[in-house]
Amino acid sequence: MSAIHLKNLTKSFGDFAALKTMDLEIADGEFMALLGPSGCGKSTTMNMIAGMEEPTSGKILFGERDMAGVPMGRRGVGFVFQNYAIFTHMSVRQNLAYGPRMRGAAKAEIDRRVCAIAEMLQLTPLLDRKADRLSVNILQRVAIGRSAIMEPAIFLLDEPLSNVDAAFRAVMRTELKQLQRQFRQTMVYVTHDQLEAMTMADRIAVMDHGVLQQVGTPLEVYNNPANVFVARFIGAPGMNLLRGRPAESDRGLVVDLGPLGVTPPLPDGLASTVRAMRGDVLYGFRPEQVTLAERGLSMRVSFVERIGARTIVHLGEGEGAVKAVFENDVGLSVGQTAVVAPPASSVRVFDATTGVSVKAG
Amino acid sequence: MSAVTATIAEGEMDARTKPAVPDEGARLGFRLTLPAQILVLFISAFPLLMQLYISVTDWSPLSGVGWWNAWEMWNSFANYTDLAADTRFWSALQRTAIVMLVCVPAEFLLGLALATLFADDFPGKRVFYSILLMPMMVVPAVAGYMFFMLFQSGGPVNDILARIIGTPVTIAWLSDPTLALIAVMIADIWQWTPLMFLILLAGLVGVPEDQMKAATLLGANPWQRFTTIVLPKMKTIIIIALAIRVIENFKIFDTLYIMTGGGPGVATETISVYIYKVTTQDLIWGYVAAIALAILIVLSIVAVYAMKRMAKAREVPA
Repeated sequence: MSAIHLKNLTKSFGDFAALKTMDLEIADGEFMALLGPSGCGKSTTMNMIAGMEEPTSGKILFGERDMAGVPMGRRGVGFVFQNYAIFTHMSVRQNLAYGPRMRGAAKAEIDRRVCAIAEMLQLTPLLDRKADRLSVNILQRVAIGRSAIMEPAIFLLDEPLSNVDAAFRAVMRTELKQLQRQFRQTMVYVTHDQLEAMTMADRIAVMDHGVLQQVGTPLEVYNNPANVFVARFIGAPGMNLLRGRPAESDRGLVVDLGPLGVTPPLPDGLASTVRAMRGDVLYGFRPEQVTLAERGLSMRVSFVERIGARTIVHLGEGEGAVKAVFENDVGLSVGQTAVVAPPASSVRVFDATTGVSVKAG
Repeated sequence: MSAVTATIAEGEMDARTKPAVPDEGARLGFRLTLPAQILVLFISAFPLLMQLYISVTDWSPLSGVGWWNAWEMWNSFANYTDLAADTRFWSALQRTAIVMLVCVPAEFLLGLALATLFADDFPGKRVFYSILLMPMMVVPAVAGYMFFMLFQSGGPVNDILARIIGTPVTIAWLSDPTLALIAVMIADIWQWTPLMFLILLAGLVGVPEDQMKAATLLGANPWQRFTTIVLPKMKTIIIIALAIRVIENFKIFDTLYIMTGGGPGVATETISVYIYKVTTQDLIWGYVAAIALAILIVLSIVAVYAMKRMAKAREVPA
């Protein structure tokens, strides 16, 4: 068992800074997801934790121990590759036994450990099958078992579900989460799929362009995005952000959105901080939280997406476009005008110049 | 409505005519490839049959009859019984085996070592790579002449040895029976290690990098990675490389013939040199045909065995 502490970690490849700076503490036994679009530095971070790449500067600590110069075979790290990297020329048994065998464990000891891990992962009937003819979920279990047999304190998973079709992904997610509960190891999970991160992780570290944007529990990240990037990236579709200028009205502080009119008044706490600011703000709210209202933003329906139970209504165009998600078909069609309003409590405000979230005072 | 009916009708037609299509395609294919097939028949089957025919006769180009009339000189299987008792043939075969047992493993090990080296990056890799492949591109006859010059008693090899040990060296490489054989083998290794290197390198870069990384993460040291991941993954390609070199090496001729002419005496006379001599000097073509056929059978057995092993390597987990 081991906590991971990344201190001022950076990584450059020539002129390209893959990781600009990273400070992150992952608690012992925690399931941490590194989430971000491709090229955000999440895999680089993972590879440095595993020891496949040397940091350009900064420190990686496992517990209290500095990992600088510790080769990857000696870090006590289990790594599950994107395509599992199963040894296809071996049987499942040989795959599972590989680690102990390389460390020179006794034959009886290897057999005992292989049997135990196979039992735990329900691989016992498949032990003598050749590894190149297995389905993905079994490959995933073999990959995890092969690492788990070494009893690593830390498990790293590099987008293990990206090769799996959508329907199967749900099954694998549940399975992975159960495995993590079983093994109780510290797990770091790299993904670009927010659904995976949201459903499995204890905490999510959202990254973009080599910079850590926000760390928090899935709900924290969803409800209180630290900045515009996180607001747009998390959620499907992402948060609606409308640019406007704070203005006083008889009902309280509102945001003047120009041609779209003015918003309902901001809640008191938020209003007091916004009053102290200068310049434009971004008025944000989740598409899922939009309701049809008597008073609010009156917008033209430009497109209606019906995805089974849910309906995504696209309102307005260009800069002022808003998406609204309804749980049932609300009967809107293209060309109609809808009056929508977010509940005051779900509104988030961001500084339009810095993109940083404005906290309620 | 009528459009719909038309489509259905077409669909039915398709369904009815479909089974006939591959058949027709196959017939057309056969007709189109017929000229090539006849050509293949003439360049492979015909010489083989002719050889088989001549091998049971005493026919020679000097015997005054066309080869098709060779049946007049039918000698029932005398050529084959002679072959079994021909000590020169058996010692040539033995010599060929020795050359093969030294050259092929040497080429394999050198090629594998070089391939392992070249699988990683190092400064000047491209230049060394080109230099390394050059011997393979030298015409074997030219290589033979080169090594003939190198191994002269006053040649560069002795010169270099003299410089190393500090006293003049006058080893008569090509006139000493043992040294001549060694010189010939060195030439073969020089020329054909690059091929082995090239094939093995192709196999080596095909070893999945993530599996190597996984092995490292599981604590395998470089040697363990090599024996448990690299070698098993390369099994098929290793068998191919060895089979190619075994078959080619068995036929070793041009370089060797120019260097020593099979001499001194018969000290470097391999199977090919022996056949060449019997063909051009003794002119007993019936006998030559018998030898060649015997060798063809031996090589075919080697090839079949190699292919069987290859198929097995693919099936059975290592």
